[in-house]
Amino acid sequence: MEPLTRYLRIWLASARYSLTRATMFRGDLIIWSTVELLWISVNVSVIAVIYSHTRTVAGWTQYEMLMLVGTSMLIQRFLMGFFWSGIFEMGRNVRSGLFDFTLAQPGDPLFMASTRKLELDGLMNAFVAAGLVAYSAWKLGIHPGVGTVALYACMVGCGVVIHYSALVMAMSLAFWITSSQGVEGSYFTLMEFSRLPREAFSGIASVLFVWVLPVVVVSNGPARELLHGFEPLWVLGLAGATVAWFALAVTVFRCGLKRYSSASS
Amino acid sequence: MTKYFQSFLVGLQSNLVYRWNFGVRSIFWCFHLVVVYILWGAAFAGNPTIGGFTFAQTLTYFVVVFVLQFFIGAFNEDYQISEDIRNGLINQFLLKPINYFAYRLSVFAAARVVSGAFGIMALLVALPFFRGYLDLPHEAWRFVLVVPAMALTAIIQFSIAYFFGLLAFWFLDIQGFVILSMAIENLLGGQIFPLDLVPHAVFNVVRFLPFFYQAYFPASIITGRQGYDFAVQGLMIQAFWAFALVCLAEFMWRRGLRHHTAAGG
Repeated sequence: MEPLTRYLRIWLASARYSLTRATMFRGDLIIWSTVELLWISVNVSVIAVIYSHTRTVAGWTQYEMLMLVGTSMLIQRFLMGFFWSGIFEMGRNVRSGLFDFTLAQPGDPLFMASTRKLELDGLMNAFVAAGLVAYSAWKLGIHPGVGTVALYACMVGCGVVIHYSALVMAMSLAFWITSSQGVEGSYFTLMEFSRLPREAFSGIASVLFVWVLPVVVVSNGPARELLHGFEPLWVLGLAGATVAWFALAVTVFRCGLKRYSSASS
Repeated sequence: MTKYFQSFLVGLQSNLVYRWNFGVRSIFWCFHLVVVYILWGAAFAGNPTIGGFTFAQTLTYFVVVFVLQFFIGAFNEDYQISEDIRNGLINQFLLKPINYFAYRLSVFAAARVVSGAFGIMALLVALPFFRGYLDLPHEAWRFVLVVPAMALTAIIQFSIAYFFGLLAFWFLDIQGFVILSMAIENLLGGQIFPLDLVPHAVFNVVRFLPFFYQAYFPASIITGRQGYDFAVQGLMIQAFWAFALVCLAEFMWRRGLRHHTAAGG
C-alpha cells in the first residue's frame, strides 16, 4: 500500500502545480478551453448535418450516434486532461536529452513522465462531453441505474487506458527514431475511427480497426452498455484489450528506455 | 523577382529535407479517407442520394478537397512565422531589401510543390481502391475556372496563416489561436462535410465568409457541386477576400513592427 500512497502524493503534488500554473495563465486556459469546445462542436455538427439527410447510419439513430461521439470525446478529453502534455513532452525530451530529469525523479519513469501535468481545459471539456452523453440518454428515454452508470464509467476508464497505451507506444518511437514530431498525428487519425459505429465496419476494415486495433471497441463498448444494457462479450473484450494494450505499452516503453543514452539518443 | 525565386529554390531544398514528414502525412491522409468512406458509405446505405449527390460524387468531393490541401493548403506557415518573431530571426529581414510577406509566400509555394508531389503519390496509392467511386464532371469550363480559384485559395490560406503567425508580435504562444482557427476553417471551409448539405439560409451566410473559399469553393467547381453562374460570382467574392486579407496582413505587419524590439548584435 505504501508505494501506492507515495505515488498518489506525487500525483497530487503535480496536480497542485498544474492548478497553480493554470491560474497564472488564465488567458491560455480560456483559449484552450474554447479550442476543445469548438472541436467538440465540429464533431456534433457532422452528426447534425448527416442526420438532416438520413434517419440512420449503420442502424444507429441520431441520438445513439451522439451518445457514441460523446463517449468517444469523453475518453479523449480525459486522456488530454490527465496524460497528453506529459507524454507529448516525453517524445521531445527524449530527443533533446531533457528526459534525464524525468529519470532522476524518485519514481517509475513512465509514471513520472506521463503524470507531470494536468490540462484543466481538457478536464473542463470532459463535462461537456459527459453532458452530450446525458443529453442523448435523455432524448432516447434511457434512465440508467447506478450499476449501469458505474459499469459505463469503468468501461470509459478502460478506454482511457487503451488510448494512453497507444499514445505511449507512439511516442516511445522517439527512442528509436530521431524525431517523433508528427507521430501524435497518428493518434488523432486513429481516434477518428472511434466515432464510427461498429456495424459500419466490414471486411478488412473490421479486422483491422475492430479486432487488431481496439479503436472502435473503446467507444462502442461503453455506448452500447448504456444503450442495450450489460453485454458480457463487450465488457470482457474491452477488459482483455485494456490489459493487453497496457502490458504492451509498458514493454515497448521499457525496451525504448534501454536504448536511451541522454542527449545523443 | 530573382531574390524571391532564389527563396523558392532554397525553400524547395529545405522542404525536401522534411520529405518523410510529408510522407507520413500522406499515409494519415489515406486513413482519413478510409474514415470518410466508412462514415459516408453507411450514411448512403439505403439512400441513393444525399443533398442531390450520389455516394461516388460525395467521395470524389472529399478526395478532391484532400488533394487540393496538399497543393494549396497552409500547414505550419503560421508556426514558422511565429518562431521567426519569437527567436528574433525576423531582425535579419528588417535589415535587408526583402519583403517578408513575399519571401514567406515563395517558401510557402516551394513547400506546396513538395507536399503536392506527395499528395499525388498518396492519390496514386489510394486510386486502385477508390477508382470505382470517383465521378468527375467533364465540362471544360470547370477545369479553366478552377485554376484562378485555386490560386486565390492559396493566397487566402497563406494570408490567414500569416495573420496568425504575426500574432506572435503580441502573444508569447499563438498555438491556441492557430488550432482555434483550424477548427473554424475546417468546418466552414467544407473539409468536414460538403457545405451544400447545410440548410440553405446557413449556406447563404457562409458563402460570404473567406473560409468558404479555402477548400469548398475550388472543390465544388471541379466536382460539379455548383454551376457556372455560382462559380463566376464566387470568383469575384474570392478575389475580394484575397485582396482584403493581403491588406490585413500588411496592416498587421506594420502594427506588429511597432511592438517589436530587436535585441542583441
